[in-house]
Amino acid sequence: MAAYIIRRVVWTVPVVLLVIFMTFTLMKQIEGNPFRKTERAVPAAVQANLERKFNLNKPWYVQYAQYVKGVATGDLGPSLVLRDRTVNDIVEEQFPRSIELGLLAFGWAVLLGVPAGVLAAMRPNSRFDYGSMLFSNVGFALPNFLVATLLIYFVSVKWGMLPTSGWTTWQHKILPSFTLGLVPMAYFARLVRGTMLETLQQDYVRTAKAKGLRRRRVLTVHVLRNSLIPVVTAAAPLLGYIITGSFIVENIFAVPGIGRYYVTAVSARDYSVVMGLTVLLSIIVIAANLVVDILYGILDPRTREART
Amino acid sequence: MRLRFPMLIAAAVVVAVALVAAGCGSGDKKGAAGDGGAKSQVLKMAWGAEPPSLDPGLATDTTSSNVLLNIMDPLVRLGDDLQPVAALAESWDVDGKVVTFHLRDDGRWTNGDPVTAQDFEYSWKRTLDPKLAADYAYQLYGIVGAEAYNNAKPAQAAKLRDKVAVKALDDRTLRVTLTSAQPWFVQQMAHHSFLAVHKPTVEKHGTKWTEPRNIVTNGAFKLAGWKHDASITLVKNADWRNADDVALDRVEGRIIVDGTTRVQAFEAGEVDALDGGGLPPADMARLKQMPEYEKYPALGTYYYGFNLKNIPDVNQRRAMAFAIDRQSIIDNVAQADQIPATGMVPQGMPGFDVIKQDFLPTSADLDKAKEFMAKAEDPKRKITLFHNDAPGHKEVAVAVQAMWKDIGIDVTIKAQEWAQYLEVLGPPPSDAVYVYRLGWIGDYVDPMNFLELWTSKSGNNNTRFASPAYDRLIAQARDTADDHDRYELYRQAEAMLTGPQGEMPISPIYWYTYTNLERESVKDTFNINLLDQFDLSKVVIKEV
Repeated sequence: MAAYIIRRVVWTVPVVLLVIFMTFTLMKQIEGNPFRKTERAVPAAVQANLERKFNLNKPWYVQYAQYVKGVATGDLGPSLVLRDRTVNDIVEEQFPRSIELGLLAFGWAVLLGVPAGVLAAMRPNSRFDYGSMLFSNVGFALPNFLVATLLIYFVSVKWGMLPTSGWTTWQHKILPSFTLGLVPMAYFARLVRGTMLETLQQDYVRTAKAKGLRRRRVLTVHVLRNSLIPVVTAAAPLLGYIITGSFIVENIFAVPGIGRYYVTAVSARDYSVVMGLTVLLSIIVIAANLVVDILYGILDPRTREART
Repeated sequence: MRLRFPMLIAAAVVVAVALVAAGCGSGDKKGAAGDGGAKSQVLKMAWGAEPPSLDPGLATDTTSSNVLLNIMDPLVRLGDDLQPVAALAESWDVDGKVVTFHLRDDGRWTNGDPVTAQDFEYSWKRTLDPKLAADYAYQLYGIVGAEAYNNAKPAQAAKLRDKVAVKALDDRTLRVTLTSAQPWFVQQMAHHSFLAVHKPTVEKHGTKWTEPRNIVTNGAFKLAGWKHDASITLVKNADWRNADDVALDRVEGRIIVDGTTRVQAFEAGEVDALDGGGLPPADMARLKQMPEYEKYPALGTYYYGFNLKNIPDVNQRRAMAFAIDRQSIIDNVAQADQIPATGMVPQGMPGFDVIKQDFLPTSADLDKAKEFMAKAEDPKRKITLFHNDAPGHKEVAVAVQAMWKDIGIDVTIKAQEWAQYLEVLGPPPSDAVYVYRLGWIGDYVDPMNFLELWTSKSGNNNTRFASPAYDRLIAQARDTADDHDRYELYRQAEAMLTGPQGEMPISPIYWYTYTNLERESVKDTFNINLLDQFDLSKVVIKEV
């Protein structure tokens, strides 16, 4: 197992290098001048000074080498657009907020989605089942921006129950995290319902019932535990995905996280911010996948043996 | 028994929801709603963007500019009539190309140091330093030696620095020598690029000098807090030279980028004023009915430019300019009370009454348009109209498409993302472009700022319009100190663009307005000037 993990960790290095290389190449391919933010033309002298300052006047391989060296030493470089800040500043200050938002959203998903799935599976084709699956479908189908706008309009503007936007008190955090949690919530509800229905058909469940165990014990010990294994394995990459920030949710709720930077940095051609965030996100996704693989190994000894 | 298990789960869900809610972090207990009544002079406002930089040398955008102009004291401010008003400079003398500013003796940095003429000399030369690589260094190019220094190779930089003609003669006298008369130079001091920075602070903290823990300023307010992308807090500077006249104690600003969210925060009572950064076009019709709606004229022109290579016949360009129903676009599409633009130089600009042409109609004149079209040699009937994909432009393009259909022109509309769009426009513009949309917002108060765009070497002239006669007029105006003589030159220049004999390289559509939402308690005193600046030192929260 240890050898497997080490091998996987070592493999992330070439993957990250490849990610940097591809992002770098793609960013260089799109037209656009990071130093021309408005319609105002940039005089040649100003352009030259900026290119010199940010090393954009060097050949691409020198820029690439410098960048990789920076990443290796933990320096993601200065932002080309936010002139008072470095990419490290942006990540240090704003990434924790995206993580917090993602974890809270995940909390909603687990705490509402899983019980909804369980209840639906216990009473298949009941009104509750239809109700929760309808909710789940709606949760999947509605885009974030619509849910966010409707929630702000009704909960904040009409009823005045919660603040519209921002990220300071716990009241501020309810709507954005709920909005972001909606899709994973719907996903969990469906996943749990499906696996639980399947587990309920298993022989060992019938045996447990037949030997006269109480229903609650059958459900908690025999059904629920086994039904949650696929949920756990699905959860890790999903968590990796939602803690890396959501452009739409962060933008609409004015959450000062990192997700909104990703999109605006691409349109502003802020190369170093795009690169820095891509590297960061790819490391997180790689780590999440690694965790899943390790979890698989722990939960299911057969996969572990096949790999070592 | 059958019921108990679901009940348990339901109970667990309720507890879980409570836990998630409670787990949503700590933070101060203060609610969202305003409190304390109107007497407490705390303004809650929404900023439309995170300031990319609060370094006067590096800032290029409106948000940074407005924060800066409230925490720093410019030499000169603009009065209501856009004439220069004494600020940190108590007076100035203009002698041809030499301008001398006399500073007040009570200007103070927030650390107690006096504000001196040397501070300005240092700051302007710092902005021009090629190593700083300031985007807006060119705002200072009117000063002798400025462009050469900004353009210097590292080896010659030190020598060229000394040749920049800005000199502190003593602590309170700053002498500037200009490359030409530039009568607008004194007004230009109201632009944030001409603010001073505190040398010891800048040198000590490097790029981090603008953080609230480091920054030293000299204006009516102090930067008490700046949580990036979240909030900007200003507090009254009790030691400022005019502090007795400042009513506000605090300005609690939240940064809300999304236009709809900004409006919703206002409607929910969380903020009392927005920063004039624009209201969402889709909501305009409703917002205009609110008593808190406010509009201000802007020095800005929204126009369509023609690529003269693709639409070479002036009569076709005239026909297209006449077929545009400017009023209808404003009433039905743009909806922000803009003014139909019949020229490049916007209404409200000093000298406008002399310069304006009154040739283009405010509503469509289809008869004239068809007449011009008939006179056009080999008119182009299939053209492409480019716009950037920001909100609102597509709707205008679709309206114009329909209007040009009436004169037999078939328009294909192409939308592009901003950075890519600017590349396509050049100059020179790509051959795919027949017509493009752009806007121009003034940096300083002189028609020069709008008319110099159309000189043949201008980086902002994407039309391929090139006229030596026009270039000569602009060069001559740059050296003409007398307002009336200069306005007459501008009139001739404007006529060469949009007059009856003009080449019509552009078709202006409307002159911008700034629209805003302001609570009635501050509506009288929160005002945005023609250059999109607001002075918080004048705001008073009154009881309503």
